[in-house]
Amino acid sequence: MKTLTIVAGVILVFVFVWERVDVVRLGYQIERLKTQKVLLERERDQLQVKFSALSAPERIAKVAMEKLGLVPPQQGQVLMVHQPGEAPSLPLPSVEQVRLARHVSTGRVSE
Amino acid sequence: MTAGPFRSRRYVMLLLLLCGFSIILFRLVTLQVLQAAELTAKADRQHQKTVSFEGARGMVSDRHGKVLAMNVEVPSVFGVPTLLESPSTVARHLSPVLHIRSGEIERKLRQDKSFVWLARKVEPEQGRRLEQLSLDGIGVVMEGRRFYPKGPLLAHVLGFSGMDGQGLEGLERRYDSHLHGEKRVTVLQRDALGRTVFPKGLAEQVPTSGHALTLTVDEVIQYIAEKELEEAVTHTHAKSGTIIVMEPQSGAILAMAVSPRFDPNVVAALTPDRWRNRALTDTYEPGSTMKVVVAAAALEEKVMTPGSMVFGENGHMVIANTTIHDHDKLGWMTFSEVIQKSSNIGAAKTGMALGEQRLYRYLQAFGFGQRTEIDLPGEVNGLLKAPKDWGRRSLASISMGQEVGVTPLQMVSAVATLANGGVMMKPYVVSEVRDQKGRVLKEVLPQVKRRVVSPDTARTMTTMLEGVVTSGTGAKAAIPGFRVAGKTGTAQKIDPRTGAYSSTEFVGSFVGYVPAESPRLAMIVVLDEPQGEAWGGAVAAPVFRQVGEQVLNYLGVSREDTVKIALAMKDY
Repeated sequence: MKTLTIVAGVILVFVFVWERVDVVRLGYQIERLKTQKVLLERERDQLQVKFSALSAPERIAKVAMEKLGLVPPQQGQVLMVHQPGEAPSLPLPSVEQVRLARHVSTGRVSE
Repeated sequence: MTAGPFRSRRYVMLLLLLCGFSIILFRLVTLQVLQAAELTAKADRQHQKTVSFEGARGMVSDRHGKVLAMNVEVPSVFGVPTLLESPSTVARHLSPVLHIRSGEIERKLRQDKSFVWLARKVEPEQGRRLEQLSLDGIGVVMEGRRFYPKGPLLAHVLGFSGMDGQGLEGLERRYDSHLHGEKRVTVLQRDALGRTVFPKGLAEQVPTSGHALTLTVDEVIQYIAEKELEEAVTHTHAKSGTIIVMEPQSGAILAMAVSPRFDPNVVAALTPDRWRNRALTDTYEPGSTMKVVVAAAALEEKVMTPGSMVFGENGHMVIANTTIHDHDKLGWMTFSEVIQKSSNIGAAKTGMALGEQRLYRYLQAFGFGQRTEIDLPGEVNGLLKAPKDWGRRSLASISMGQEVGVTPLQMVSAVATLANGGVMMKPYVVSEVRDQKGRVLKEVLPQVKRRVVSPDTARTMTTMLEGVVTSGTGAKAAIPGFRVAGKTGTAQKIDPRTGAYSSTEFVGSFVGYVPAESPRLAMIVVLDEPQGEAWGGAVAAPVFRQVGEQVLNYLGVSREDTVKIALAMKDY
C-alpha cells in the first residue's frame, strides 16, 4: 500500500512536471506561429500596396498607350449596348447601322 | 576553575553568532525593505520587457474598394551607442545601405545616449541588407508606414500622416480619430536566454487597427479629372487649377482635382502651398458664373422671365460714377440672351431689379459666405458682405460676380442645386466607416440642406444654361450626343500692388451639368491665371467637355444619338 502510494505520488509529480513543460513548449510554439502570422500579414500588406500601385489608372493608361499602342476611344467608337430587358421596344439594328457608327471614327479600332 | 574560561568562550561564540546574525538581518532589511523597490524594478527589467503596440492605421479606399491609403510594416533602424566599439567603422558600413552620409551616422552614434534612431521607416530591402550585415549595437524594429499606392492621385483630399502616425492634412487629419490604431503597452516575460515567453491572454492584448474609410470618390473619374487638369494647366501656363465633379442628386464628390499635384509619400521637402486643397481653401471672384445665381433668383422672384426684354445700353452703362462694359455692343435682348451672351449690364440690371435684400438672401441660400460643411479640413467661408456694408456699385458688381469671394466647391454646389431641381445637397467625401472586422460603424447618407428655388425655376434655368452651350459663350463645353447646361466665367484678379483689377491676370472658369435633362454630373473647372486667351469659354469649357465626355462614357450614360441596339442573348 505504501509503495503504491509512493508510485502514485511520483507519477503525479511527473504528470505535473510534464504538464508544466508542455505548457511552456506550447507557449513557444504559439509564439512562433504568431510571428509567422505577423510575417505573412506583413507580406500580404506589401503585396496589396504593390497591387494597388500597379493597378493605378495612371499606370494602366501609360502602359496601354506606350507599350501596347492603344488610344482612348474616339468619338463614335463607344456604343452603349442595351440588353433586351432594358429596351424591349427597340428594333434590332442592321449590321450596316453598326458599321456606319464605327466608320465615323478615325482611330485604330475603326473598321 | 574550569568554568570561568569555558563560560567566557561560550560568551564569545554567542557574541560572534549574534554579530553574524545581526549582519545577515541588517543585509536582509537592506535588501528586502530599504532597497526593495529599486531591486524589484531591476529584476523586472531583467525578466520583463515592456512593449508598446500600436494598431495599424485604417485603410482608405474609393467607392469601388480600390485602395488609396494603407499601412505596411517596414523596418526602422536604431543604434545603441554604449555597445559600439568603433562608431566610425559601423557608420561606414551603414552609410551605403541607409543612403545617409557616414559622418552624420557617426555623429549620432557618438552621442551619450543608450538609444538613437538612425533611419525610420526605410524600405524592406534596406532592412534585409542590414540584417545580413549583423552589426553589434545596430538593431531593426518594425513600424507602420503609411503608403499611398496611387502616388499623387487624390492627394489633396487624402492629405497625409506624420512619422508617428498622426493625421496631419486632408482626410487623414479630419478622420484621425477613426483612422488611428489603438495604442497599448504590454509587459512580456523573458526567460534565462532572453526569449519572450508566451504570456497569458496575449491574443486579447493585440491592439486593434484603425477604422477603414470608403470614399464617394471614383479613382477612374479622379484620374480623368487630374489628367485633363494637368494638361490644361500645362497648355495654358496657368498658375493652378481645380476641377470638382459632383453627383447632383446626392452631393457625393466623385472627383476633386487640384493642380499642381503632390505625392503624399514624399512630403518632407514640400511647402504647405503645395498640399493646400485649393478647391475649398482658396476663394476667387467668380465673375460671370455668378450670373447663374442672380438669374435663378430673378426667375424665382418673378422679376424676370426667359423672354423679358433687357436693353444692353450698347455696351456701356454708368453706375455710381463708374462705367460697366460688355465686350459686345449689345442692344435689346431677352433675359435668356443676357445669360447666353453673359452680359454684365444685363446682369447688373437684373440685380438692381431684385434689390439688395433679395439678392443677398438668395446668395446666402445658394451657400455663399458660409462653409458647405464638407467633411474635409481647411474649408473657408468665402467673402460675402452684408448689404449694410455694400457700396453704391455693389449691387451691380455682385450681380456680375465681383466684390464676392467664393470657393470652387461653393460654386459647384450652387449650380448642382439647379441640376437637382432646386434642392441643395450637402457635399461629402466619406460614405462609410468600417471597423477592423468590416462592420459598418457609420454610413453617410445624402443630406438635404434646403430647397433654394422651385423645380420650375430650376427647369427654366437648365434651358437657359443649355443656350449658353448651344449658342452662347460656352460652345466649347458641348459634348456630342449630350445636352450640356453651364456657364462660363472670366474674372479679373485684383492686383495686390495697385489694389485695382489687373488687366493681365484672370481666373477662367466653367461650371455646369450634364446630361441637362437628367444630370449625372455637376462639374466646375477653374484655371487661375491662364496665359494668353484667358476667357473661361476658351480655357475652361474645353476641359469640361474633355472630362465630361470621358466620365459619361465610363459611367455608361447613353448618348442621345446612340444607335440603340437590342441584342438577344441567344444570338451569342
